[in-house]
Amino acid sequence: MADLQANLPLAGIRVLDFTWAWAGPFCTMQLAHLGAEVIRVETTARPACVTRLIPPFADDIAGPNRAGYFNQYNQGKKAITLNLTKPEAIEIALALAKHADIVADNYAAGVMDKLGLGYDKLRTVKPDVIMISMSGYGQTGPYKGFVGYGPPASAACGMFFATGYEGGDPGEIGVSYADPNAGIFGAFALMAALTHRAMTGEGQYIDQSQLETALVLMPEGLLQYDLAKREPERHGNHDPVMAPHDCYKAAGDDEKWVSIAVGTEDEWRALCGAIGQPHLAGDARFKTAALRKKNETALDEIITTWTKTRDRWDSTRILQGVGVASFPSMGNKDLAEDAHLAERGYLVQLEHPEVGKRIHAGIPWKMSGTPCAVRKAAPVRGADTEEVLKSLLGFTHDRIEQLRKTEVLI
Amino acid sequence: MDKNAKTPFSAIKVVECGQGIPAAFGAKMLADIGAEVIKVEPPGGDLARRRGPYPGDQEDPEKSGTFIYLNTNKRGVVADLTRPEGRELLAKLLADADVLIHNVPPSERAAQGLDSGALCAAYPKLIVTSISIFGDTGPYADWRGYELTVANAGGWAYLSPGASPYPDQPPLKCFGSQGDFQGGIHAATVTLAAYMNRLKTGKGQAIDVSEQECIAAMLEMNLMHWTYAHRETSRLGSRLLGPWFIADCADGKIFALAVEEEQWKRLVELMGNPEWAQEDLFKDRIARGQNQDALKALMSEWLSTWKVQDLYVEAQKRRIPFAPINTMRDLYESEHLAERNFFVTLDQPGVDKVRLPGMPSIYNRTQWSLRRPAPRLGEHSEEVFCGEYGVARDRLSELHKAGIA
Repeated sequence: MADLQANLPLAGIRVLDFTWAWAGPFCTMQLAHLGAEVIRVETTARPACVTRLIPPFADDIAGPNRAGYFNQYNQGKKAITLNLTKPEAIEIALALAKHADIVADNYAAGVMDKLGLGYDKLRTVKPDVIMISMSGYGQTGPYKGFVGYGPPASAACGMFFATGYEGGDPGEIGVSYADPNAGIFGAFALMAALTHRAMTGEGQYIDQSQLETALVLMPEGLLQYDLAKREPERHGNHDPVMAPHDCYKAAGDDEKWVSIAVGTEDEWRALCGAIGQPHLAGDARFKTAALRKKNETALDEIITTWTKTRDRWDSTRILQGVGVASFPSMGNKDLAEDAHLAERGYLVQLEHPEVGKRIHAGIPWKMSGTPCAVRKAAPVRGADTEEVLKSLLGFTHDRIEQLRKTEVLI
Repeated sequence: MDKNAKTPFSAIKVVECGQGIPAAFGAKMLADIGAEVIKVEPPGGDLARRRGPYPGDQEDPEKSGTFIYLNTNKRGVVADLTRPEGRELLAKLLADADVLIHNVPPSERAAQGLDSGALCAAYPKLIVTSISIFGDTGPYADWRGYELTVANAGGWAYLSPGASPYPDQPPLKCFGSQGDFQGGIHAATVTLAAYMNRLKTGKGQAIDVSEQECIAAMLEMNLMHWTYAHRETSRLGSRLLGPWFIADCADGKIFALAVEEEQWKRLVELMGNPEWAQEDLFKDRIARGQNQDALKALMSEWLSTWKVQDLYVEAQKRRIPFAPINTMRDLYESEHLAERNFFVTLDQPGVDKVRLPGMPSIYNRTQWSLRRPAPRLGEHSEEVFCGEYGVARDRLSELHKAGIA
């Protein structure tokens, strides 16, 4: 493990991680994937460590180390306990910051300052420290104190408004997308800051608003309004240009679906052949992309007649075999058992002291020269408190026990 | 716009190939902090030029909003990489590039001179970042895909819309091009990591980003519901907690949410402590999630008396995380975003002013800037190939006539 890490791009980079919930841990996990030592700071004194406390739990037995949510997004990190309501804990946090390259938080704006752990303070102990604060609305502006979570940020950025079935109400998009999205943009910003520091020696502070990281994903909608004064319309899975373009019912129980999207004339002809209706390619209703779009209801019916008698994987293989974009709509079991994801080494199964080996989503990229791998399962609560305080701050076992008794290290 | 503004990142030379969003967005992330990006388009132009939206809905490949957004701060050249002469032009650019980022599908790479292994052998210092739907390896590597394909292959569509009231309707793709954007931002992040590594070791490498895997990694507890508790998930079913729904106010829609019990208590106060709130049905957040239909019905009348903005602000004053279902217009008119200077105004030749989403993260040292408009098709071919890479002007016009440059 040590050798493997030594060759990674962020080997030697230490992150002091005050993040919680999802956006922040998703951010720092990317750095752990790239080889950084991420030390996660938690406390049992804070009731809202949500990801350890909500289901799914391993085998439905509740427990802070048994939560899938926490264990997914904290892979490869260390964990220490530190009760930041105690002045001594703040002193310890500052002492740790002295050894950190990066300090990350995703509290509401101003919380780190109030704790005495704001950027100006951190800079006094570590002049070239890089700090990122990932808040809901940013550190400035009239809404700076507003509470942000993934779902409301997905509403506020216009994604709910623009998503939905044909002619229907604004939709809810199924996951708290704005959370991991803020996390990956945070990881990019930190990579930029680390590169900046490597080239200039300067550290810096990054103010990141979850709302704004989601808005940069909305150019098609925003610019339609800016350039053509039209709000986006809701058309289910249909595309403004491509047709056919939908999820179609497959054989089997009600919840089997297969997606098909056609973007070129070649693909259209291939589709007609594959579904045994080559004459459709010459059908006046479907002769051009524009006509297919205009007559997509009729087209969708024809395709459904074909898909609903076939297994979704059979349809996919037939269509992909002739170069048509198609794929089953994957459920969680499908993903966990997928041969492609397994062969690529994406699905990770590492030993965890309380839940054993469980499949997790791994690293969605590969690097040929510095192969990244998830190096260890998520830490149980406080797993590394003693090791970190001894090795970085020279604390003795007795002192650590004393600090546990006085509820500093809980 | 100062085209010549320098930042530490100006030292990074990036060549971008491919079509549409993924590579263009990844390169944009680097260009916006100062990297020198040369975008290589095929003679017919990038697909994003044909996606719009267009001013006044009049189609024009030089005025596509999606293209403009993705390609500010870059210079643009044309080279047909399916022809040997086009690949020779690319080779000139790669000779002194630090990064090549592209989203040419694995099955088409060899023919365009973009095989990662061959490029790394030819240019040992080059970072070759490829973005694809299913990654460069594995049984589906050569399969085709669009955004809809990624939304389904990654497992997102199957969960959307959450707690769907429309069981007969299919899994639903989220608005826009989220798989493509995620491919781009992940690629940009890992590319910088590889650049950091190169600063230490002098060595380049190949990076393979799978959009399917990016999306599958962003689905909250989805996978673990199966691997921890053997439960299959879908867009059907109930909410984990409540309130968690979209509701009508007097003048629009709001997203009503209370995550923590304290937030619910403050919401009950804001509602004027109605008796029903004490019912067992709503005793904790889990119960409120399970009994959401009843909860929504009871809250609806109260919600309908509010204007969206007023309720948003009053709820947030009490640290209750409501949010408006914003329209595009709401966003452009947001006081908060205006005060943070989020939208940036671009003078795009031929289009007048365009208001673009700006900085996703505000750095206090690294400079994010808007330095130049998006390139017209082939705008910088001569400047780059002849002015900087020694291609004779006669040769370039020959290639132009042959439809290669």
